[in-house]
Amino acid sequence: MLRPNFHRLPTTSRWIVILGVTATALGFTFTFNAGLNAQIASGAAISIVVLGLTWLTGWSGQISLGNSGFMACGGYFVGVWANHHAATPLVISLLFATAAGALGGLILAVPATRLRGPYLAGATLAFATVTSSLVYVFGNWTGGPTSQLFLNSLTTPSWFARMFSGIQASLNSSAQYGADLAICVAAIAFLFMSNLFHSRLGRAMTLVRDNDVSAELMGINLRRTRTIAFVIAAALGGLGGGLQTLLNGSVTPGSFPLTISITLLTLMVLGGIGTLTGAVLGGLIFAVSSNVINWLCSTAGISSTSNLGTNMQGIVFSVLLMTTMLIAPQGISGNIVRGYRHLMQRFTSKIDNSPA
Amino acid sequence: MIRVAHLTVKYGAIAALTDVSFEVRPGSITAVLGANGAGKTTLLRTISSLMTPSQGEIFLGDTALVGQKTEDIARLGVAHVPEGRGVVAEFTVEENLRLGALSSPENSAHAVAAQFERFPVLAQRRKQYAATLSGGERQMLALARALVARPTVLLLDEPSLGLSPMVTADIMTTISTLSREEKLTVVLVEQNAKSALRIADHAVVLHVGTVVADAPAGDVANNDDLKRFYLGLVK
Repeated sequence: MLRPNFHRLPTTSRWIVILGVTATALGFTFTFNAGLNAQIASGAAISIVVLGLTWLTGWSGQISLGNSGFMACGGYFVGVWANHHAATPLVISLLFATAAGALGGLILAVPATRLRGPYLAGATLAFATVTSSLVYVFGNWTGGPTSQLFLNSLTTPSWFARMFSGIQASLNSSAQYGADLAICVAAIAFLFMSNLFHSRLGRAMTLVRDNDVSAELMGINLRRTRTIAFVIAAALGGLGGGLQTLLNGSVTPGSFPLTISITLLTLMVLGGIGTLTGAVLGGLIFAVSSNVINWLCSTAGISSTSNLGTNMQGIVFSVLLMTTMLIAPQGISGNIVRGYRHLMQRFTSKIDNSPA
Repeated sequence: MIRVAHLTVKYGAIAALTDVSFEVRPGSITAVLGANGAGKTTLLRTISSLMTPSQGEIFLGDTALVGQKTEDIARLGVAHVPEGRGVVAEFTVEENLRLGALSSPENSAHAVAAQFERFPVLAQRRKQYAATLSGGERQMLALARALVARPTVLLLDEPSLGLSPMVTADIMTTISTLSREEKLTVVLVEQNAKSALRIADHAVVLHVGTVVADAPAGDVANNDDLKRFYLGLVK
C-alpha cells in the first residue's frame, strides 16, 4: 500500500505547508464566533492526540485503545498542579502534561511492547481503565469521583491583545485566545512530528512495523524502538489532554472516558492512518461533529437529552468508520491523494496524446 | 572466520539441525546446499540469533554468537539478507538503502552513495518505490542495503529465489565480485546448487539437519553421488 507522502516533502516545504495551514486556521478564528472557536480549540487538541495515535498505530504498527488514559495523565496532572500552583506559566503546564503522558506511556510500554494484536489492544484498554480508577484512588488530590477540579480560566495575555488590537478590538474573548493557543500548540506538535516521521527513527519504525525480523537483522532493538513509539504517542496524548483541561478550565472523572479512545481510533481511520494530514482531518471532523450531530438530531426531531440523542455521537462515528473501511480504507487523506494522482495521470496522458 | 561447532537446533521436539559443525574461512564464499527442509535457513537464522540452539556454539573470530541479541550480532558486522529480501515496499530505493545505515555510525549519505556507485541500476531508480521494482532489482536492493553498514560477513538466504536464470547469474556474479573485492566472508544458502557451486570456494551439504559433505566447492561439483542423492543435479 503506497500512502500519501506529505512527510516525504523536503523539510522546508513541509514547514511552509504546516505554517501556512496554521496561519490560515489562525486567520479563521478572527471571523468565528465564540462557540465555533471553542470547537476549533477542542479539535486542535484532539488532533494532537490523533497525531500520537497515528504515529503509534500507522507508523510503528502497534494498536492502542488506551489513549484516553494518556489524555487523563496529562489532563489530571495539569488540573492537580494548577490547584496548588495557580501561577504556573502556560508553557510549563503544557510541558508537565506532556511529561505526565510520556511517563504513563513508559509504564504501559514495559508490558505492551511484549504483546501483539488483540493482546496489545487488551493491555492498552486495561491501562485506560486503570487510569480512570486512579482518579478515585487518589481522591485526596483529584477530588474523587464526583468532584470537579477548577483551573484559572485562560486569559488573553496583554502582549497578545496589544499585538492584534488593531485587527480586532474584542480579541480578549477567551474563546478566540483558546483557539489560537490550541492551533499554535498543535502546529508545534505537527512540526515536531513531521520531522520525526522523516527521521532515522521514523524509518526504523516503518521497518519494525512491516518486517520486524528484517529490523532486528539491521541492528534495530525492537523493544526499545516500540517503547519510544509508545512514549512519543503517550506524550502527545498527555499534551492533548492537558491542553483540553486548560481550555475547559476544569477536569472531572468524565473528561476522558473510555469511549474517547474509540472516537480517537475512528478519527484516525477517517482521516487516514499513518499520515499527518489524516490527523489534521481527524481533528477537524471532531471539531465540526457536534454541530453536525445537533443538526441531525434537530432535523430528525430527536431530543438531545433523550437516550438516542446522547448516544448519537457514537452512532454517527460508528457508521462513518464502517463506511470509510468499506469505500475508502485509506481514509479521506488517502482518497484525496489518490484522486489527485488520478487527475494528474489523466492530465499528463492527455498532453502526451495531443497532436504536436 | 565463522566456526559452527556441534550445533543442534530444535522446533519443539523436532530437530532441524543435529550436531552440525563446519568452518567458514575469512574472505571466502561458502555455499550451504540441500533440499527443502534440510535446515539451511535454520542455520542462518541461528547464526543471526533469530533462533536459539539447544546445543553447540557459533564463533565469529573469538566472539561467541550464541546468546547474543540479533541486533548486537548485526553490529558485530554480520549482515543477513533474509529469504524474501525484506525491503520496504512503500519506501523508495534510496530510503530502503538508508535503512541499512540505521545501526551504523557511518555517514549514511556516503554509505548510500557508495552503493549507488556499485549498483548503477539502483542509482537509476533511486526515487522509485521498492514495490515497483522487479525481483532481480529487489534482490540487488536487499544486497546493497546489507552492504551499507559495511559488514565483514554476509549471510544470504536464497538470493536466487523466484528469479530467472539470467538474473540469477547476474546476482551470483555480483556476490562473487563483492567477496573478492571487499574481502567479504559470504555464507550462501541456495537451492540452486549449480549456480552456487559456480561461485563458491567451499560447500557444506545438509540433509535432514545433518552435514553430509563439507568440502571444496569443486569437489562437491564433481561428486556425482552428492549431486544425485542430495542436490538433484544428476538424473
